[in-house]
Amino acid sequence: MNTVLCDAPERFESTTRESYHREITRLPLTMRPALNKQLRQWDDLFPFERSRLTGFLRGVESMTPSQLDRLTQPLRFLEARMDLARLGFSEDDDTMQNASLLARSPYYAQWRKEVQHVFAVIEDAAHSADTRTRDKGRLIFIVLPDTLPIRSLAAQRLWDSRGIEYKLDGAPQRVTELALAGASGLPALLAEESEAGTDNTRADCWMIDADARLGAVVGGQSPIPVTLLEYAALKEFRDRVLAQVNTVPKDIAATDQTLTAIRRQNWDAWWPPSLAGQNRLRSFVLELFLSGNGALIFSNAFVQWAASEALRRARPRMITARFGLRIRPKPFTSIAIFENQQKVSTLRDEDDPEGSAIDAQILARYIWLSTLRYSEKERTCCVCVAESSRSVYVIAPESQRPRWSADQAVPPEAIHEWMRSTLSE
Amino acid sequence: MEVSRRDLLKAAAALVVEQWATRRNFVLGNESKTRLGKVIVVTCGGIRREDTFSESGLTNIPHLSGNLQDQSIFYPLVRNAGVTSHYNTISSIVTGNWQRLDDWGKERPASPTLFEHLRKQMRLRPEATWLISSNKALTSQIGASSVRDFGPDYGANVMFPKQLLINAVVRAASQGRAVHSTDRRVVQPELEAMLNSDNYDGLGWNISGGTFSLDTPTLGVMQQAIDDLIRTNAPVTGDEFTFLVSTEVMRRFAPELLVVTFSDMEVAHFGSYSLHLVGIRTVDRLVSELWSMVQQLPSYKDQTTLFVLPEFGRDMDGSTTNGFFNHREDSVSTRLTWMLCLGNAVHKAQTIETPVEQTDLCPTIARLFDLNHLDVPGQSLPGLWI
Repeated sequence: MNTVLCDAPERFESTTRESYHREITRLPLTMRPALNKQLRQWDDLFPFERSRLTGFLRGVESMTPSQLDRLTQPLRFLEARMDLARLGFSEDDDTMQNASLLARSPYYAQWRKEVQHVFAVIEDAAHSADTRTRDKGRLIFIVLPDTLPIRSLAAQRLWDSRGIEYKLDGAPQRVTELALAGASGLPALLAEESEAGTDNTRADCWMIDADARLGAVVGGQSPIPVTLLEYAALKEFRDRVLAQVNTVPKDIAATDQTLTAIRRQNWDAWWPPSLAGQNRLRSFVLELFLSGNGALIFSNAFVQWAASEALRRARPRMITARFGLRIRPKPFTSIAIFENQQKVSTLRDEDDPEGSAIDAQILARYIWLSTLRYSEKERTCCVCVAESSRSVYVIAPESQRPRWSADQAVPPEAIHEWMRSTLSE
Repeated sequence: MEVSRRDLLKAAAALVVEQWATRRNFVLGNESKTRLGKVIVVTCGGIRREDTFSESGLTNIPHLSGNLQDQSIFYPLVRNAGVTSHYNTISSIVTGNWQRLDDWGKERPASPTLFEHLRKQMRLRPEATWLISSNKALTSQIGASSVRDFGPDYGANVMFPKQLLINAVVRAASQGRAVHSTDRRVVQPELEAMLNSDNYDGLGWNISGGTFSLDTPTLGVMQQAIDDLIRTNAPVTGDEFTFLVSTEVMRRFAPELLVVTFSDMEVAHFGSYSLHLVGIRTVDRLVSELWSMVQQLPSYKDQTTLFVLPEFGRDMDGSTTNGFFNHREDSVSTRLTWMLCLGNAVHKAQTIETPVEQTDLCPTIARLFDLNHLDVPGQSLPGLWI
């Protein structure tokens, strides 16, 4: 199996870029925008994305013209029937206009199937899977802090048939401290395992927080390289982006133009110090905010969507996702929920613990469901601590299941040891 | 909702309708003298079956699944086979043809709407057909098609009451002013500017022709109503205001065909499941109140058929489209929904499990009104007294 990750360059020679462009032009029209966009934004891609892109384009390269024609003919036929070229479909960028043109076509469902088929065949041809990282253990660690009133996670919608809820024997916050802090913490373990100085060190360990607490837990005397996103720390930047997003007119083409302008704008003055010098992560956050899904509006939606996108784009070995409280909708101004509530209403913010808990539970589950889309799921475990119910919900493949008895409370130290073992194996 | 605040909303709704009527030279109380029955269609955003008509969802819809279902024909298998965006879906429902238009309402429906058929064939006055919507994805283009022999001359009155409230907030915010309980001077200029602006379509008002100005007393009362809303501690819902404007239109004009679209549950796009459920519960309550209103108004009592249906479901948990946030997945969760029919066309309450499509609603309503020559692919809904 080809380990393409090693072959994905940090920077391109212009001849390489041109050859990749040539391969992209061999593909049907609707496959080009996403690939062109990735190529243009090479510097902002995570190692996994680079590996996948270069692997895919090598797969295209490996196919003869007649093989590629045979494979893509049904898709090209559909594109012709969809009349996309005439309707102004962009091949440079993934635009809203493109998405709208595709979605309203009567051939949309067929088109989706055909595109997925072509991608799968080319990826197979490229053997682009990175077996090195797939073999390593992975962990999703979710924290539902004690401000969220939760009775039982197991009693809610099923996360996974393998899931087991255990009672905690000790302070629930201790699970987070042990997992993240100091030399015995999991970020330190991953940093040790990563090749020092490579691009993977930060990308392997993500921490996403609805507030701004996790940074303090993991920080200390000797900073450990992690990818840290704290919603509260992003406030100034968020407010500015939200104000601009809310200028989007009711017109798809104009919206594309506005979003492009936001991407090109210099936001340097508004980024938090924690993201200093991290251009790729800044780009990730901006794309996250521009892709909707509530990331600009609600902290818990930010946590879920960031985790889901991190899994899709970076395939980190560990994600820590900590949820939090949102404020109660305010009279009158809540009708425009997309506006900055603190700015448009001077009424005092009031927390909504019950509503936040409902939101956090379904979104925590969504993070786990996101992991199930990728082949790494076979080596991925999940630990969700519900601090208010002093319980922990654990999902693990059969070979990694903890040996605790379900009717006995488990001390945080035992959970920490087990979490370490899932990443070490 | 507390009584005093609701009264204020009612007052605001009444004024909105009055302003509308004055602008169009409608005669208030000018009810139809035809012998046609009345039809009301309520559509309500994207709602999954699992959050409504399922074991775990019934708690969110005590009225719909309780006394309303008990007297209705319930269709549990209603399919949206079109584009699962708001503008396309509602256009498809009112035209009976799956529409594939610009999602944000730049184009008129490509085939005639029920409003146009009804007004043209029955020679009905302009006040006879209305579409009152909470949904900001719609535009007034939805009231009439682009078909040459039909078009705006036969179209519906289209109103967006929720947008009026939203715009007041947005405008204040965009100019760096906070809205709070004591600052009346902030809200008044927002409303005044919006209501006197030429750009009614941006506001959601379907007003053709020249400009007009609100008289100061009217504006003052509306401002007072909204100002008092700010002072309360309960959230104001846009659907509540849409409901009140709709009932005001019913009282004053008794239209033959009224389409109301609710959208509070669309807060799901921002990722709050709890607020999405609140939106579903609000719709459940408002539909019940609407049905009570039908029983109270002489123009509607015993001659009205009410249809209630979600526009679509929402995406499956675990989908690449992020589950309940969105409604663009080609899945059962997104496409399969339900419909209740109450009133005149129902002679026996029952559940009909025959699969139907949302576009079947148009030929059904056409038959209720004895309309002919509709070029639609659907069939009338089974089980109704037509």
